[in-house]
Amino acid sequence: MNGGKISFEFRSNLSELGKLHRNLEELGKSLGMSKKAVFQIDLAIEEVLSNIILYGYTDKAEHWIKITIWDQNRTLNIRIEDDGIPFNPLEAEAPDLECSLEERQIGGLGCHIMKSLMDDIVYERLGNKNVLTMKKTIEDT
Amino acid sequence: MEIIEKRQNDISIFKVNGRLDSNTSPRFEEKIVEAIKNGSNKMIIDFEALDYISSAGLRVINKTTKQLKHIEGMLILCSMQDYIKEVFVITGFDSFLPIVSTCDEALMKF
Repeated sequence: MNGGKISFEFRSNLSELGKLHRNLEELGKSLGMSKKAVFQIDLAIEEVLSNIILYGYTDKAEHWIKITIWDQNRTLNIRIEDDGIPFNPLEAEAPDLECSLEERQIGGLGCHIMKSLMDDIVYERLGNKNVLTMKKTIEDT
Repeated sequence: MEIIEKRQNDISIFKVNGRLDSNTSPRFEEKIVEAIKNGSNKMIIDFEALDYISSAGLRVINKTTKQLKHIEGMLILCSMQDYIKEVFVITGFDSFLPIVSTCDEALMKF
């Protein structure tokens, strides 16, 4: 895939996560990525996708989410585009990791995981689309 | 995802095989809720065969910990792969959850 881009389109349904996982496993193999690297990218993408699918739409229609991935000298670029309501995950409130179990709120946890795992994340609102671009230096097998 | 449930004395042990993501975690939660309804308050979740966990899986674990605490029970996690453990560290879940290396070690905690 060196230099090339690959794209996947997913329906706005959580049942698509299995397909995401299979696609990423294949990609990981073709790029010689470690199991851990594939896991971390899979996880960051799921956290973004599940937020979009669960909270991003105000109607019940089926929407499509497009993911484009390309390798740039061992830095993986992942772009996620959706036509949901404007949402910048970088501005999501961070969970209070220090508070007690009883007070612990789960909201924002997925965004926190994604931000912790990726090296760089850029959010843009372009027309009616959210465009999130994440970068991650990949570890070899 | 596949869940194998067994009981050893009064301890419920769940071995989770595969992936705990936003799509599969509700099924995992159902199993646990059912076990609590049937009187379980001591639980071990064995993650030896777990390949993947997301915040949806963590949410179930968090809820379970809270529920068990209310009924004077306890949840112990064991046998995680390193990259799975890292998610527990990133989210601070390792600070309130007992995580041990083996299922035998977990059994000795009760």
